[in-house]
Amino acid sequence: MPCLPVPRRSVLIGLGASLISDRVLAQDGAGLTLAFIPQENPDKLLGDIETITAWLSERMGIPVEGFVTFDHAAAVEALRNGDADISFMGALPFVLAESEIGAEPLLSEVYRGRPTYRGRVFVRRDSGIATLADLRGRSIAFADPISESGYLFPLDEFVQAGLITDAGEAESFFGEVFFAGGYQQAMQAMVGGLVDAAAASQYADLLLTPNQQAEVIWIAESEPIPSHVVIARPGLDPAIKERFTETMLALNEPENRALLAYVYGPDGYTPADAAAFDGVREIARRYGFLS
Amino acid sequence: MRRTFPSGRSFALAAIGALLVLIDAVAAFATPVKQAPWHPVAAAYRTSLFLAGLSPVSWHAVTAAWIEANPGAAFDKPALDLLNASPGGNKASDAIRAALEARERQAVFAAVTRAVADLLLERLGAARSALEDGDASSAIAEARELYRAFEDGIAAADPEASRRLGLAWLTLNSSAGSRGLLGAGARPADAARFEEALATVSEYIAANFDPETFTPRERMAPLPETVVAAGGEVAVPPVLPPAARMADQEPLPRLVLNFEEQGIDETDLPLVAFGDMLFDSAQIFGDPARSLGIACSTCHNRSDVNRDLFIPGISHQPGAVDVDSALFNHVSNDLRDDPIDIPSLRGVRYTAPYGRDGRFASLRDFSRNVIVGEFGGSEPTPFMLDALVAYMLEFDFLPNSKLGSGGLLTDSASPAARRGEALFRRPFAQMDGRACASCHVPSSNFLDRQAHDIGSVSAAYAGAQSGALDTPTLLGARFTAPYFHDGSLPTLASVVDWFDDRYELGMTEGERSDLTAYLEAVGDADEPYEPFDEYNTPFKLAFEELTTFASTLDLLIPRRDAEHASLLIDTVAADLAADASAMSNLEAKSDVYALATILAEVGEAISAADWTAAEARWSEFKETQADVAERMF
Ligand code: HEC
Ligand code: HEC
Repeated sequence: MPCLPVPRRSVLIGLGASLISDRVLAQDGAGLTLAFIPQENPDKLLGDIETITAWLSERMGIPVEGFVTFDHAAAVEALRNGDADISFMGALPFVLAESEIGAEPLLSEVYRGRPTYRGRVFVRRDSGIATLADLRGRSIAFADPISESGYLFPLDEFVQAGLITDAGEAESFFGEVFFAGGYQQAMQAMVGGLVDAAAASQYADLLLTPNQQAEVIWIAESEPIPSHVVIARPGLDPAIKERFTETMLALNEPENRALLAYVYGPDGYTPADAAAFDGVREIARRYGFLS
Repeated sequence: MRRTFPSGRSFALAAIGALLVLIDAVAAFATPVKQAPWHPVAAAYRTSLFLAGLSPVSWHAVTAAWIEANPGAAFDKPALDLLNASPGGNKASDAIRAALEARERQAVFAAVTRAVADLLLERLGAARSALEDGDASSAIAEARELYRAFEDGIAAADPEASRRLGLAWLTLNSSAGSRGLLGAGARPADAARFEEALATVSEYIAANFDPETFTPRERMAPLPETVVAAGGEVAVPPVLPPAARMADQEPLPRLVLNFEEQGIDETDLPLVAFGDMLFDSAQIFGDPARSLGIACSTCHNRSDVNRDLFIPGISHQPGAVDVDSALFNHVSNDLRDDPIDIPSLRGVRYTAPYGRDGRFASLRDFSRNVIVGEFGGSEPTPFMLDALVAYMLEFDFLPNSKLGSGGLLTDSASPAARRGEALFRRPFAQMDGRACASCHVPSSNFLDRQAHDIGSVSAAYAGAQSGALDTPTLLGARFTAPYFHDGSLPTLASVVDWFDDRYELGMTEGERSDLTAYLEAVGDADEPYEPFDEYNTPFKLAFEELTTFASTLDLLIPRRDAEHASLLIDTVAADLAADASAMSNLEAKSDVYALATILAEVGEAISAADWTAAEARWSEFKETQADVAERMF
């Protein structure tokens, strides 16, 4: 169980003192510590963490606390050295954490009834672009170099279509490649005519205004990608693991659903299936994230 | 980490592949989309410009925009606190305070604009410093969120720059490189490209939003200084500030239409169907209401109220709005800050005269005044007014099995409510010998069509005799809190307490709670909200409504009525496409776009006076619709 009061490279910005002192609680060995990776403003994250850990603690009958890590690396480090028991991350960082420290997937987020989603390549309806091959020499905005649905999986569609052999060839296939910084930025750049195509999550068109949505079509779609996972450090007490999993699944019940908004806002959770990550492991190997 | 629509993830780590999440509530009708949350400083900026553009200016509200957290912001931090915490931000916040104290629009404009620009430039500087460590993206993302404060102004006034800067932001982010994940997949920064893009953005922002001096501004819009200095101010499409909420009320009120309850199909009532369309149409209003997508139904959701509607500066609380303020029609601006709680229109044929003070005897006159006077629309045709009135006359009160004929409680009401019924009918000397039931006459839908000064209106000036208001119905009141014209009483119990205090009725606690139970029984409904489920989705409701509207073309095309047909098509084609964005069956979205396109083509044919083509396209629309409807839900 946790021994260092504050994990290395973590708890940076504006972390309230209360959250730090709470950490002492879990030191008797019966508690649970969650590491959250900021995707938004840390101030907001902290309020959410307090809400969800208080609920978990009450339901599980053991002290549960959370802290904000600096990034994925810090979260994985915290799992490795026992500063954290549980963390929340995307499929790609999870498979890296799995190979590096033997992290284990417990729960998958569910959206629209599925624990998976797809990446898509979007273009403007009036662009005349109908296939991936039409994008030769044109510009594309990917979401981010470490995004599964906004980069790696859509890029792989170009490979599978025989248009490029690897990521390195993308620069020469496309006229210009951008990383926009997120789904919304990529989609906006495409709708606004700054680039010809955008690669993003299948739901990314919903980030546009209704009128813009009508102007957009997609021309390719990736394999299903596992959605975000809740993962455990190796060696976490199986009884606690089970209790935690059961409690989290109770978030699916109507009376608890409102709390989902405090844990990254999925529609619900389902037990994770380790085999479902094979595709991600494969992509990670092919694009140099795993050896 | 609560993600709201479109994406709560803001200026932090770039998409780590986070799934996008749909809004918890998808607007059922052609209501405007919720805005993505704003950077608190950008939110304060947009809010203060909006408020300073209204007249008279509420300086108190403008100040609050900076010192209080903004509900439209991504997180709860007052903007001035954030400014003060940023390097060099104290100067900016002092300037804002000074300008606010001086109550000078131009000074406020300059101070707040510079504050955003300075913070944006500071963030870009931070991004540059972090470049070597591969850590620039979060500072870039924050700068980009701040840029959003100016974006529409730049796009409207300087499209070329807007594009250039758009590409510069893309380049900035791409050339910043990436630290990768857990040591893998890192990408080096491209310092030269980064510097070039950074210069493009910084130079433009400095020259246009932090210039030596600002040309005096008429409009409070984020227009670039160089353009204004050279050619004056250009129009920016109207926008509401970040905290505005115009989406439909949740849960959505149930609409009870008299003909529908009797099994009559709306498509067989073309005048009513056309009126239904007008009630949902922003096209009948002038700007800004039209561009903002505001229709009668925006405030009167499904004939009832929209308790969630909130427009900073003209709503003092959700569900209330000052309809004759500077926002909608400066000609009819009454210069009085007097927001009114939106009244329900259920049973509106029984509630004449109209307006809280009963200033219009006829529904037709009231509606014309709403369109032309309050929302700056052009003069409606007699057909339009006939249609709108015909539709509203169908609004019925909510079925309530606790009430029988004559407004008497039935056996299903509780004993407490029955005791309350007796109290309601008991005359009180303190109320001039009246009972509650003297004004809220149970057999007359709990109203008397009279105006009374019961003391609920605070005097507008010394000795004013202008406190009389129409007695409102009590039917459906359980679902329309808060109460009174200004929404000052939060619950029915508080209304009872108010009467008890005001008229010194001396009711015991038990009597007060019985009377409240009675009001709750009278104001109850068997089914107050639209029952949505897997099959009856908000989209289905909207889709069926829109295709019903379209059915009036069966009347208008044979009549060669181009004016009304075009109005209908403008409303419905746009709404169809907009509503497609709320579909849960995403795969059928393209069908809806196809329908919208055909309808737009009917409109084009009509504009070209090619009625043969219009008829052909209209037949095609109906066939496609039948086809699509089968696989849609
Ligand atoms: C921005 C919100 C808003 C919009 C849009 C709006 N209303 Fe209203 N409506 C109000 C408010 C607030 C009142 C109360 C005004 C008053 O009493 O002075 C009101 C009052 C009314 C009344 C009087 C009800 C009564 O019993 O006294 C009618 C009828 C009415 N509106 C019809 C319409 C129609 C028809 C439209 C569209 C043409 C419309 N409204 C658009 C907010 C709105
Ligand atoms: C002299 C006529 C009169 C009498 C008597 C009277 N009311 Fe009213 N009532 C009104 C008027 C007028 C209003 C509107 C006040 C406002 O909007 O500021 C009103 C408002 C209300 C409302 C709020 C309705 C809404 O939707 O906002 C309730 C509830 C109510 N009265 C209940 C009662 C009860 C209970 C009594 C007896 C204790 C009573 N009234 C006696 C005239 C009367």
